[in-house]
Amino acid sequence: MRMGLEMGRAARVPAAVRTLGALAAAVLLSAVSGGSAAAQEDGFPHERHEGLFPVCSGCHQGVPENDWATFFPSIDLCNQCHTGDEQRTDTWSQRERREGNLRFAHGFHEALFGDFAPTCEACHSAPDQGRMSVSGDIQLETCWTCHQATDHQTDAPCVTCHVPLAESGLSVGRIAGFPLPSDHAAPTWLLEDHPALAVETSTGRCSVCHTSDRCLACHVDAEREPIQAMLAAPEGMELPPTWARYEAPPSHTDEQWLEDHGASASRGECGTCHTSDSCMNCHVPPAPSAVRSLVAHADAVAPGVSLARIAPSTHESLFFMDTHSTLGASNAGQCATCHVDRFCVACHDGPTGGGYHPGDFVARHAADAFGRDAECATCHNTQAFCRECHVQAGMTSFGRLGPGYHDAQSLWLLRHGQAARQNLESCASCHAQNDCTQCHSVLGALKVSPHSPDFDAQRAWERSPTTCLACHIGNPIGGG
Amino acid sequence: MNHSDRTGGSRVRVLQMLGAGVMASGLALFSAFPVHAQGVRGWGGTNVQMIELRPLGLDSIPLSDVTFAPDGGTTYQGRAVACRLGDLCTAYRVLPKVRAVAISQDVSLTAWGFGVQGLSFTTLLRVRDDLGSDFIWPRADDDFDALLGYAQLVQGPMRLRVGRQEVRSGLGFAAFDGGSATATFGDVRVEAYGGRSMARGLREPANEALRGIETFLPDQSVYLLGAAAGWRISRTSVTGRYHREILADRSALASERASLDFTSSVPGARIAGSIDYDNGFGRVGKGHLSVSVPVADGKVVLETTARRYVPYFDLSTIWGFFEPVSYSEVEARVGWSPTRRFGTWLSGGRRDYADARTTVVVKLLTDDGWRANAGVHWRLAEAWQLEGGYRLEWGPGGYLSSGDVSARFSPSERISVTASGMTFQQIEEFRLGEGRALGGGLSFDLGVLSRARLAGGVSVLRHRSDGVGPESPWNQTRAWTGLRIEVGDDPGLAARRRP
Repeated sequence: MRMGLEMGRAARVPAAVRTLGALAAAVLLSAVSGGSAAAQEDGFPHERHEGLFPVCSGCHQGVPENDWATFFPSIDLCNQCHTGDEQRTDTWSQRERREGNLRFAHGFHEALFGDFAPTCEACHSAPDQGRMSVSGDIQLETCWTCHQATDHQTDAPCVTCHVPLAESGLSVGRIAGFPLPSDHAAPTWLLEDHPALAVETSTGRCSVCHTSDRCLACHVDAEREPIQAMLAAPEGMELPPTWARYEAPPSHTDEQWLEDHGASASRGECGTCHTSDSCMNCHVPPAPSAVRSLVAHADAVAPGVSLARIAPSTHESLFFMDTHSTLGASNAGQCATCHVDRFCVACHDGPTGGGYHPGDFVARHAADAFGRDAECATCHNTQAFCRECHVQAGMTSFGRLGPGYHDAQSLWLLRHGQAARQNLESCASCHAQNDCTQCHSVLGALKVSPHSPDFDAQRAWERSPTTCLACHIGNPIGGG
Repeated sequence: MNHSDRTGGSRVRVLQMLGAGVMASGLALFSAFPVHAQGVRGWGGTNVQMIELRPLGLDSIPLSDVTFAPDGGTTYQGRAVACRLGDLCTAYRVLPKVRAVAISQDVSLTAWGFGVQGLSFTTLLRVRDDLGSDFIWPRADDDFDALLGYAQLVQGPMRLRVGRQEVRSGLGFAAFDGGSATATFGDVRVEAYGGRSMARGLREPANEALRGIETFLPDQSVYLLGAAAGWRISRTSVTGRYHREILADRSALASERASLDFTSSVPGARIAGSIDYDNGFGRVGKGHLSVSVPVADGKVVLETTARRYVPYFDLSTIWGFFEPVSYSEVEARVGWSPTRRFGTWLSGGRRDYADARTTVVVKLLTDDGWRANAGVHWRLAEAWQLEGGYRLEWGPGGYLSSGDVSARFSPSERISVTASGMTFQQIEEFRLGEGRALGGGLSFDLGVLSRARLAGGVSVLRHRSDGVGPESPWNQTRAWTGLRIEVGDDPGLAARRRP
């Protein structure tokens, strides 16, 4: 504290000597104090006056009533001794009240504890150094004997002694000079400690140094209860500039996070950092209910986390295109988070084969189709797509079946059964059903049964008798 | 419909497509004036593709001109010849080149914000036409399809859809006109849906879409009923699903199937599996179990898959009653991706077909097959990317050895140019060799406006006969171009090429 005490000029000392003496004193004072701010600020030499003032209230009469006018002695009181004869005359002037956010009242403690109230020296004097070893630092340990704390900045009940920042009227410079409590530098401060503390202390501790404006610099959801409990800065109160800082929670670094996050998505879980706009970087509109519940970017003070569109880890696999069907089928609806129907159609029903097949696939599709790595009929109707083209390309039968096309196999008709059962889809891509019923029907020329020995005719008749009647005259179980 | 009819109708349909294009452009303009509390997302795409083919045709060959080989084979000028008693011999030859030019116009729109939170409307319409072709590219003569057209309401855990929609699941894709309801309660998701079923791969009922091109068809609508339940427990997702398709008069089932799909991430591995059961025929359908193990800090992935495949046919065709047999396959894959800029993979699989239990007159065909696949992608620099691959299929009656390589130059997001080359040798089903083909192509993708992209490409194939199959090479040229206009935001990531 700067006491503003100035010593009176000694008129009998020559000016040059006074100047040299002042310089020497300044250097000496600086050397002795070691630059101690407390020593420099507490300019009144209490120790030199020890013995002159038996009680503190002799000079600090206004302390119990918190009366600032008599908090410090008047210059007249000093000059009762400093008459200019034995002592230099003082020209001390009453200091301006330092701005602060203390709500501490000395009188309250005196009224509460009476004779057991802490003495002045218990708080203002260096321990074991005597009453007049007044230091600028408050001896907070004295406070902790009742207020149950170990550290001023981390576990002391702030609101006991301090008013909320919003009510303090502090200047921006004073606020910017607030010390950073040590727990704020902990690695777990942002994600774990500060939210827990805000709830635990009902933001009482937070409000001493912060207004709700600080919360809203990062939090996009202003409706949260702890933030609502914080006071906003009054109009005209200037605050130091703040910047949003976001850290990804550990859950977000899990490789499954993109797939898993929907299950826990809610305003409570996501609304701290994410606006609905950031979700919609990936989600297709109309937005899911969890996304709709979030604050829109336009309504938020905080910028929120900007999300980059990124594919889930499953999509990074070199074999994703072969496995995506099972991924989609096993978790129906998940694909629709990011993809709209037409995205699927672009490949599976695209007019130009939007990318599923390699270029010029049509020229070499025969072996692929024959190998049946995938089921062509999922996307291509066998009759309307495959056979319609094959017929025009001459790859079909005309009327009576005969040898010819399958020219690598002699006596093809006599051995085609195995190939047919193994690759029936390929047969159907060129042959119509009645090509087969020329022989494989009770009405056909050869009446060759296409069924295997353990064919369940009863099941077939029960489920689709009309198809049975394509080859049989009546119920085949009855001999038709 | 004869060719002249088609050409005459084409003009009208081209006008229809131009109208759809104007609509898409209007949407683009609409996006420039955003409406508060409303949202629109969509796109319009016009695609034109030209494909050349050389069809096969049958020639009659006098028996006197046929050469009889010692092994019993018959040829004429190197071509295989088929002879029947009392009939002319025939041989396939390649006919002159034919060309198909098809155009399609897609318009997709999703709109929301009509005063009811969670309400949206989605449509995806497609108009097609054939532009004076020698042959019809599949579906090009189907003028109009509403691929999607539904209203959706999302309220809390519930999602309701009404209209034309599609369910994609372990049982494949099922399109239908009807309703669906989905509810998600924490880790549990339940779904139920039903409506008039569409033919597989189409957006029309089978009795309408396949009339005239298929012999045995249901003569009435087929209705689909389905339900699914999924659980997500820790890092495991499981979904069970049931589908039942029944004729409108309830006289017969079209299909009745169930599936189970699951994925799981356990420490050090990802597991995925599926299995389905066809209750119509009383047999287990397709299934697979894959275990993928990342090693070397995820830079290497080892994957093993056991797979069972049997085709699915519904009960309304005779194919399923022919009792197709399954094949079982074991496939191993390894992928190495030391950086995001480089990846390479190698896979190999062997499959064995189940006993077909047919009466074999002459000799058994092979009943196993092999396949192998290798590939690489390498982003050499920010603007340059190389891709290459090789594929080998060696099964009973068919063979493919195919390689392709491409280099893409993307100096900016607005433009990319790709040069590609490919070569393959294949033998189609139980046919003699068909020679080798060499192809190359150029394509481009250009951002012409902030929300519009123009893309296109041309490729040329040169075929060299091996002297055993049809004598004429089927050299051909193919080209395509497309214009795509986006409206609104679509966070969905870009499609990727299959490795």
